[in-house]
Amino acid sequence: MKPEDARQHTDRCFRGEPATCSFACPFRMDIRSFLDRVARGRWPAAYRVLRDAVIFPVVVSALCDQPCRSACQRTLLGDEALEIRELEVACLRNVKERKPERYVIPPKKERVAVVGAGPSGLSCALALAQKRFGVTVLEREKGWGGRLLEHPRFTEFDEDIGLQFSALEVEFRFGTVVSDLAQLSEFDAVYIATGAGGNAFGLEASWDDQLYSTEQPRVFLGGELCGSSVMEALAAGREASLSIEVFLQTGKAAATFGRFPREYRGHILPHEGVPPAPAVRPADPSGYSGEEARAEAARCMQCDCNICMEACEMLRLFRKDPHKIAVEVYTDTHVNAPFSSHTITRQVYSCNVCGYCGGVCPVGVDIGPLMQLSRRVRLSAGVHPAALHDFWLREMDFAVSEGAFSSPPAGQEACAYAFYPGCQLGASNPGHVLRSWDFLAARHDAGVMLGCCGAPAYWAGDEERLRANIEGIRRTWAGMGRPVLVCACATCRTVLAGFLPEIRTVSLYELLADAEEVRPVRRWPEAAVFDPCAARGGDRMEAAVRALVSRSGTVCVEPGEKNRCCGHGGHIYLANPGLYGEIVQNRTEADPRPYVVYCANCREVFASQGKECAHILDLAFDLPARDPVPGLDEKRANILAVKKELMKKMTGADFEPEAREWDALTLVIDEALRRNLDRKLISGNDIKEAIWRAESAGDKFLDPETGASLCSMVKEVITYWVEYRGSGAGAYEILDAYSHRMRFGREE
Amino acid sequence: MGEGRKIWRCARCDRELVAKKTIFTYMGLTLAHEVEACPGCGKVFVSREMAEGKMAETEQQLEDK
Ligand SMILES: [Zn+2]
Repeated sequence: MKPEDARQHTDRCFRGEPATCSFACPFRMDIRSFLDRVARGRWPAAYRVLRDAVIFPVVVSALCDQPCRSACQRTLLGDEALEIRELEVACLRNVKERKPERYVIPPKKERVAVVGAGPSGLSCALALAQKRFGVTVLEREKGWGGRLLEHPRFTEFDEDIGLQFSALEVEFRFGTVVSDLAQLSEFDAVYIATGAGGNAFGLEASWDDQLYSTEQPRVFLGGELCGSSVMEALAAGREASLSIEVFLQTGKAAATFGRFPREYRGHILPHEGVPPAPAVRPADPSGYSGEEARAEAARCMQCDCNICMEACEMLRLFRKDPHKIAVEVYTDTHVNAPFSSHTITRQVYSCNVCGYCGGVCPVGVDIGPLMQLSRRVRLSAGVHPAALHDFWLREMDFAVSEGAFSSPPAGQEACAYAFYPGCQLGASNPGHVLRSWDFLAARHDAGVMLGCCGAPAYWAGDEERLRANIEGIRRTWAGMGRPVLVCACATCRTVLAGFLPEIRTVSLYELLADAEEVRPVRRWPEAAVFDPCAARGGDRMEAAVRALVSRSGTVCVEPGEKNRCCGHGGHIYLANPGLYGEIVQNRTEADPRPYVVYCANCREVFASQGKECAHILDLAFDLPARDPVPGLDEKRANILAVKKELMKKMTGADFEPEAREWDALTLVIDEALRRNLDRKLISGNDIKEAIWRAESAGDKFLDPETGASLCSMVKEVITYWVEYRGSGAGAYEILDAYSHRMRFGREE
Repeated sequence: MGEGRKIWRCARCDRELVAKKTIFTYMGLTLAHEVEACPGCGKVFVSREMAEGKMAETEQQLEDK
């Protein structure tokens, strides 16, 4: 894996880019940082940001025409832009120590001549001297300042310029007229900043406005000579210094000014819910007090995108921006490198892979595929936490083996339509599959394909298992005459679209909505539709469900946020139970009205919270309310029951599930304990198998006092323990059960 | 759940359990921990308290490594 494999997922993310105000600033000042420091009263830090950006802070705070203010996003909310210049003045007034830092780097041998001691020449000379080049400034007047000399506040400017140069070695030759560049042959480079209408030595025609270079390789032009304003001239001096530096190092001028083109203006953010904040007016007309300045600076919204990190519980919990996630996904999966950190493992397995972040992102950056990349790479390297997905992979294996059944309608070789209910619909409620199939058989002469699309393997990052399953679906589908698959589960549709694009699918709900004879029952006066995450972009499916709800006479209310994951997606339940609980609670409480859902998982999640909800199929077929959340064993039994009934209908055969030795055991188990074990994902089937193995081999612990037994069963990933007591022939009372992920050796 | 404190004996060897240093492995790492085991056949005993407490905690740490 290469760093770009991870980074390509987040390349477009613009978090951390300068704000729009900085792009408008001739100096590209980090105005966000400046205002943040002012707001916190950190004057020395604010001053350093200001001075490092604008070079001569007294001059700039007096003269800047503040193009940043027209780019201030406060104005989009109807507020006035931040009073940047007044805040700069306040900063200068409040900072105590303004002495420039000394640059303790060895002097360089290259020498640069700067012609003209106006704003541009001075800023270029200062920047080059800070890099310890030998700098000589040649000026025909008696002192520095150029056009600033005319200004009534020149004394202050003079002092500022003197201060900034005070820590540097620069030779100033005043009263020196340069009339021919041959006079400067001793210098390695020359910067000509002779001001508006000044001498360009015939080089203006060959001037490069990006690099400040000319046809003479060592000669550069810039500033008011080239039509700049005073502020632009100051900024140009330093930009030219960078170009000159590159030239001195490489013999060729080349761009170094960061990655943003000059035309780039930055991103406007939505700022939803940000309250208005009127500008702070200084009590004293001479300017802000320290407190006033802090209050004014606090109006800055620190415009930087964190939309995904606010919208998604998982991103909010881990507090890493997309760029950082991409870097860590790379280092984390780079298992053999000395820099392997594994700092992001928990986060990788905590993602619902629901696409919500990509939906709210202004540039569509979706973190899910990045997490999936990490899961795949880790699994193929054998360094994945297998226990986090083991349960669902075993359920998938069951659904695609014992639970699988496919057939065209009775007496036919092929069919145009086949019902593809997915593994969860029948497990959750057999009636959903059986009634839907009755409808499809009558109206579309549909066959059926029972199985699992492979989403559990996809979420586990288990590519091999996913591919094998996909191939199985392809073969079965081809054998049935390549029917259109009628999907009840949006996740199935997404997986099929991604891995089997040759298969045409249609949503069951669209076919139901198209059938006028389907008359859904009215269970509530109004209800909110909860669209599953995988339905994102499935406009026709979403519209069909709404049409069915409306047809029932129930007022269909739009949810506040669409296509959010109920919590089930990505199978994060074991990886991050706390986060899972938070997500489930947030979705449950998102709307006080009953939910109409069209995903079996969504329904179980909400039903388990006691939320009033119904699957759209409950309404469409007027199905009675069942046990809201079937247990683990009941789900497997439901899958087999559906298979048995459909097999009988379509082939006339009687399906007899494969019997295992432990099937005959009877468990006596308290309902509260059963629910508790379901939550721990320990099924009755596992318990039976463990007891059967222990009793057959006599391999268990005994407590003679109470007559209790304790056995363990080591499975590939999980070790199960069951405490039980014999309760008559083949019956066992279950006292407790638990599991762990570690494996133990018999002894050292 | 389980009633009272149980005194487990190995059903096969009919012996009381004794403390024994045992090797545990997870996520490619190996740890040694003293647990109860049968002195005869070496069968290891893990209580629910240990499985859902200390072991679960360690498992999570190793997963995060
Ligand atoms: Zn023993």
